[in-house]
Amino acid sequence: MSDGGFPKPSELAYPKELDGWEEMYPPYYIFSKDRTDWEDRQFWYHDKIHAPEPMYPWDLIFHEAWQISLSQYNTRVFCIPPAQGVAQRMVGCYMYICAVEPPPPEVIQQKAELFQKRVFYVFEHYDELYEKWLKKFRALGEEIERLVIPGELPRFEGEDVVFPAPRGYFSSFEVMDAYDKLVNGIIKGWQYHFEYLNLSYLGYLMFADTCRKLFPGISESTIGKLVAGAVVTMYRPEEELCKLARMASTMPSVKEVLKTDLPAKEKVERLSKDLDGKEWLRALESVKNPWFYASCGSGWFHYEGSWINRPEVPFGYLRSYMERLERGERIERYLEEIEQEREKLAEDYRNLIANEDDKKAFEDAYKTCRTIYKYAEDHLFWVEHWFHTIVFDKMWRLGALLAKYGLLGEAEDVYLFNRFEVPMIIEDMVTAYALGEGVPARAAHWKEKASRRRKILDAARQWTPPPALGTVPEEIAEPFTVMLWGVTSDKVAEWLKGAAVKPGEVTEVKGFASSAGVAEGKARVIKLLEEINTLEPGEILVCPTTNPSWAPVFTKIKAAVTDIGGLTSHAAIVCREYGVPSVTGAGIATSVIKTGDIIRVDGNKGVVHLVQRA
Amino acid sequence: MNYTLWFHEVGKEHTALVGGKCASLGELLRAGIPVPPGYAVTTEAYERFLQEAMLGERVKNALGRVNPDDLSSVEAASREVRGLVEGSSMSTEMEDQIAECYRRLSRLCNLPAVPVAVRSSATAEDLPGASFAGQQDTYLWIRGTDDLLFHIRKCWSSLFTPRAISYRIRMGFPHEKVSISVGVQKMVNSWTAGVMFTLDPSTGDPSCIVIDANWGFGESVVSGECTPDHFVVNKVTLEIVDRTVSRKDCYYTADAETQTVKRLPIPEERQCNQCMIDQDVINLARIGRQIERYYGRPMDIEWAIDKDLPAAGQVLILQSRPETVWSQKRSGPLIGKKSGFDLLMERAMKREKVPR
Repeated sequence: MSDGGFPKPSELAYPKELDGWEEMYPPYYIFSKDRTDWEDRQFWYHDKIHAPEPMYPWDLIFHEAWQISLSQYNTRVFCIPPAQGVAQRMVGCYMYICAVEPPPPEVIQQKAELFQKRVFYVFEHYDELYEKWLKKFRALGEEIERLVIPGELPRFEGEDVVFPAPRGYFSSFEVMDAYDKLVNGIIKGWQYHFEYLNLSYLGYLMFADTCRKLFPGISESTIGKLVAGAVVTMYRPEEELCKLARMASTMPSVKEVLKTDLPAKEKVERLSKDLDGKEWLRALESVKNPWFYASCGSGWFHYEGSWINRPEVPFGYLRSYMERLERGERIERYLEEIEQEREKLAEDYRNLIANEDDKKAFEDAYKTCRTIYKYAEDHLFWVEHWFHTIVFDKMWRLGALLAKYGLLGEAEDVYLFNRFEVPMIIEDMVTAYALGEGVPARAAHWKEKASRRRKILDAARQWTPPPALGTVPEEIAEPFTVMLWGVTSDKVAEWLKGAAVKPGEVTEVKGFASSAGVAEGKARVIKLLEEINTLEPGEILVCPTTNPSWAPVFTKIKAAVTDIGGLTSHAAIVCREYGVPSVTGAGIATSVIKTGDIIRVDGNKGVVHLVQRA
Repeated sequence: MNYTLWFHEVGKEHTALVGGKCASLGELLRAGIPVPPGYAVTTEAYERFLQEAMLGERVKNALGRVNPDDLSSVEAASREVRGLVEGSSMSTEMEDQIAECYRRLSRLCNLPAVPVAVRSSATAEDLPGASFAGQQDTYLWIRGTDDLLFHIRKCWSSLFTPRAISYRIRMGFPHEKVSISVGVQKMVNSWTAGVMFTLDPSTGDPSCIVIDANWGFGESVVSGECTPDHFVVNKVTLEIVDRTVSRKDCYYTADAETQTVKRLPIPEERQCNQCMIDQDVINLARIGRQIERYYGRPMDIEWAIDKDLPAAGQVLILQSRPETVWSQKRSGPLIGKKSGFDLLMERAMKREKVPR
């Protein structure tokens, strides 16, 4: 153990069962002797928000992309003066991150000048800049969507690529090229992802600081409530579903079909045989892209799925909406009321300020923060949901192609290889294909690797790595580290205290106090949306994360706990709207809490107590 | 004749009739601030009493003989007049009216004879200056009609203490011009009581309401001899944002026999129970917010939850005074003249220290 109480990265020992884990990830992701000095000096902690589970090698691509992008906006673009980037390392299949120590004073000074010029400009022009952002981001997504990954390679190339003049490049190249473009698209998409995100977090933190100066006891959930908007792109999928439900409620034949418990596919088939049904399906088709490109999870993991490829999810909601409409309930969120309530809340707080200058400062801070905070809420749908849905669709097709030609056991195995290895497998496949009939590829090599990696990942799941490594820093200036990961002095102290506790011995889990209130009850751990029908009314939902595709659940539950998500995450916002206590961003909730455990959720303090184990 | 008026029927405009104290209780009720229920015996009742008992002339004569420089003559006159006032009967009509109010008050509290506080309530005709002697008289734990009527007369007679008499003579104020009202108010029989600040006294945060509470009367909290339960409520949203339930080992309660307050130990099994339900914490905070708005400044409030009143009206406010510590400290701005961009720059430069 080093001085701060955490092991140095260079001292960490790994279980034997994990042998070989290093080769799953790029070499610069591994702690290494040649940079021990620097690595031991930094403070590394397990990113339980984005990577609570052992990392599939291919899924690391999003993290590779954000490491570069997030960091460069801090260091090279908008130049947040004392903040540097967030570095990543893999530690036995778990991802660790670190806010890099601040730069030398003269660099801080130079950055401060650039910051003023660039950042104030962005705040002043945010609305038009966002429009430009959305346009280019959608263009990129559409470009990725147009990439063709064929279902099979043609035995003979078609005449259309030979006459009137040979195209010159063919299927073998096309697959390689499509994959390269996919990878570049992902990296680029993630460059766009952070365009205004660092600044919107900074805006939020600035407003939170202002609030705390004026109201030292103000809770995180209240600040979240003041800042969060009701009209947010992330809610559009749910809203479109509500509209479709309303439409169906005026069409008796459609209503009947939607209310049945037939599989989604059969529902569509039946509807297509009916006049009203056809019209309704047309309405559905017209909103599918983009609004059904909503992940059933956080959008970070290949196994989560999206509405378009898990149609049972939206059709399940439609069914419950139809039932609620029949009971005369309103299914839409009360947007206007929510907005009015937020404005009233801000006004009530402002009226508590005695000093006129303070009052003005509060107002201006609020306005400044609200200008840009929208981005934090809007980008999420476009990047993590819409864009990732497109990306995963291409990857599934690629996996299926590789499996079809025997290089992989099954399509999903493609995620067991990192993004630099996948081109090798593709090349192996297209080489064998180009060589002609009866030429073997190294299928056995890839399959053997895949099965060994599966075992390593399983072993990693059984291992509890230390919460942090390296040297506890003197200060933290990086906005994401403070806001998103909630790394504060308290958190570090808590890690130090609980460093040795095993999951089975944990008695409480901490997260964001995102919706006030206290509730005690039976936990229902739901890792995938498909399991949602097991939830009984009055239970406490414990899940990795929620998004609007989980919306109908919130009227049934007593409280909610999520592993991922801050004060303005979907679960936090919806829980506040329904007055349901919630603790979000609890990191390890789904791994330490089991269905049937009695837990107490304290949404005022951000603590979940395990009252009684099932 | 208006011999009695309920507190909820009066306001500032009735000061001449019910005195300042009762009128302000009426004002508090109008502002939605619950005070212990009760009524005023009006100045008209007092004046009518003098008339009906034919005391006017006799009082005037007795006081006419007073030599203000001769203390013994003042005291003699006081004894005589107070004897007259306390020893004369009210008319049956007046007694009936006062007693009927008392019965209604008892019924409201579900008691055969509710203990009340009987206190004088000075009128606007009083000369300014707090030294208007005698009129601070308060009689606690009064039960039953006879005792009540007697103590009302005692309050009336307090107009004629030696100090009051010589004071009026010195100021040249005619004795026959003074009048007095008497307030009759339920003695709070508190289940739980304590203090409330409409800001956080530890930080000065104006968005918090802080409540300290213990079983029984508020004495144990005010005196600090017991660690109370502690609640912090968000003043805007009225959510309980923090709570500490403490081990509370003693409390004060009413002794039915001696009609006084006594200190008792709290049984072990109750010591660590929260001494008020969340709904009452929230109700109380809502009232605290109301009081602050009414007075236009942060307040320091004594409150109680009554055992006898119907469930909806149990939270009662006993006393409110301006909070002084933070109100004086907080003269300057906390942030000052700063734009959103200034604050953004400040935040961007901020480096959060991680304590070792």
